[in-house]
Amino acid sequence: MSGYAAHRVATAVAQLLIITLVAYLLFFVIADLTGASPAQRVAGKGATPERVREIAHIMGVDRPWYEQYATFLSRLARGNLGYSFQRRQPVADVVFPAAAVTASLVLGAAVLWVLIAIVVGLVGALHPRSLADRVLTIGVQVSIAAPVFWVAPMLAYLLAYQPTQGTLLGIPLGRSVSWLPIQGYVTLTSDPFEWARHLILPWIALAIGFAALYARFVRAFVLEQLSEEYVKTARAKGARESRIIRRHIGRLVAPAIVVLLGLDVGVALGGALFVEQVFGLPGLGYIGLSSIQNLDYGLTVGVITFAALVAVAANAAADLIQAMLDPRVRAQ
Amino acid sequence: MSSITAPALPEDETFPAARGAFEDFWRRFHRDYVALAAICFIVFTIFAAVLGAPLAAWLTGHPPDQQYVNGLTIDGIPLPPMSHEVGPDGVTPNPHGEFFILGTDKLGRDVFVRLLYGARISLFVAFTATSVALLIGVVLGLIAGYYRAVGDAIISRGIETAMAFPALLFAVGLAAVIGAGLLNVIVVITIFSWYYPARVVRSAVLSLRQAQFVEAAHMVGASHRRVMFTHLLPQLTAPLIVYATGVIAANILFEAGLSYLGLGVPPPTASWGQMLSDGVSGGLYRVQPWLALIPGLALASLMLSFQLLGDGLRDALATKSAA
Repeated sequence: MSGYAAHRVATAVAQLLIITLVAYLLFFVIADLTGASPAQRVAGKGATPERVREIAHIMGVDRPWYEQYATFLSRLARGNLGYSFQRRQPVADVVFPAAAVTASLVLGAAVLWVLIAIVVGLVGALHPRSLADRVLTIGVQVSIAAPVFWVAPMLAYLLAYQPTQGTLLGIPLGRSVSWLPIQGYVTLTSDPFEWARHLILPWIALAIGFAALYARFVRAFVLEQLSEEYVKTARAKGARESRIIRRHIGRLVAPAIVVLLGLDVGVALGGALFVEQVFGLPGLGYIGLSSIQNLDYGLTVGVITFAALVAVAANAAADLIQAMLDPRVRAQ
Repeated sequence: MSSITAPALPEDETFPAARGAFEDFWRRFHRDYVALAAICFIVFTIFAAVLGAPLAAWLTGHPPDQQYVNGLTIDGIPLPPMSHEVGPDGVTPNPHGEFFILGTDKLGRDVFVRLLYGARISLFVAFTATSVALLIGVVLGLIAGYYRAVGDAIISRGIETAMAFPALLFAVGLAAVIGAGLLNVIVVITIFSWYYPARVVRSAVLSLRQAQFVEAAHMVGASHRRVMFTHLLPQLTAPLIVYATGVIAANILFEAGLSYLGLGVPPPTASWGQMLSDGVSGGLYRVQPWLALIPGLALASLMLSFQLLGDGLRDALATKSAA
């Protein structure tokens, strides 16, 4: 186990090194070649060439790329994500509050989509080809096909905006109701109730697609297990169906879902980008995108490094959990 | 004089005909009405994009980039579907004016014509990027799975590393750095979609390379390249076709996502993602939900069609789900 763990962690570190190197080259070296010079951007349009060179020297972007990257890495190892010259504050001061927003969004949505997936998947697996199964399967297919950046504004329109105009899904409410905010974010520490109220729609928007994918997985997984010999044995010994699902199959589904969650963290961060954009949540995707638009590449690299760190760590954690639970993985 | 005559076949006896792979596939596929409906919708979309777009522009007389002053109300609000342009007062419809089947967008352009032109971008980018990605994936997967050793180690590590990248954030960054444009969008999407096919091909080749037909090919002196491309590759056709439909669906979504973030094909060229983001940005969808509803519906229907087609093909080709 420790051998496997060491190998897995080493792989994760190597992946992280490559990702940060590519990110660094992309935003500082290639960006420089295409004319979006970071120093020029900081100096402003009217700056003299001398001034730009001076700023490039302060930022350290006049040195060869490997030196720049080495500096970046040594800072990173000490927990320093760099400095945003446009915002005139350390990247970490921007990234950490944003990460809290994204974490609120993704973790809440993950709880939601796993719950939905288990319910929908179990209904389908226990009553295959029933009417409920067919209806849910159609729902799953449609939910997978619907892009998150379409679902999010539609939810905001139907569940947040229309009630303020006095109707909910075509039903007249008789008065203007604003029970869900259309946009904005409130931190958990300042007001937990408002925090949840502002996140309900983003959670649903992000969860729908994943819930459908996971429901399909749970349905297929449970259906496959139900035809296994151990289930027959359990039934022969008189175990109730609910006990078989919970005690026997549940113990196999749960780790499989944990591994899927670990693998999907990176994908969920991508989905969160759109949800944050639509609902105006100041998360990682939101500041990452605005930093790209403002050519604030110091911040961009910081955001990408942080996101990659989270995704790679989650990935490695999922593999390690799986290895702990399943000796066959360790043997590979 | 001697002649050899073939023995006459008994007329009344019918022999079971050997069925080809395609026949076998078609026997199963032609009863799958869901998959047939999906393929009809995809073909319809392709025709609508290639022929329908210029035809619609000609019939309505609305070029895709033409901005109609009277296509917006006096408050600058786009018109809903099935409406005539507004009259001189800027509010009441003018029954003799231009007619907009799906209404107008925020610049007073015809949404119907733009929707058809947008389909071109979606389909072209998705098909091109998927083809290139599959080509790269198949070649790398074949090399890795067939030769093993150093090549496999390098390619496998490459695949694992590529999969560890937070793809969307990087794609957004890359698109921003290399700039917007049709070719750049295709390049960005290709960079982030070659590794899944490569992994699938590699694992398939790993299990096939021990097969007897590969051994037999080696024994009669076939070169490595010949074994890879004329013996192994045809075995992969069925799973690859199934897989490709999934990749196309994913890449349609990818393109729309990049366009939605303003990093796709630059305006004024119409694309679904950009139409959607135009409808959403600034809260315009609250006044005219059509602007967000229509392109989203088009995207979702096309994605759904590719998914259902993929499911149908998988069942009919009797391949295990690739991935």
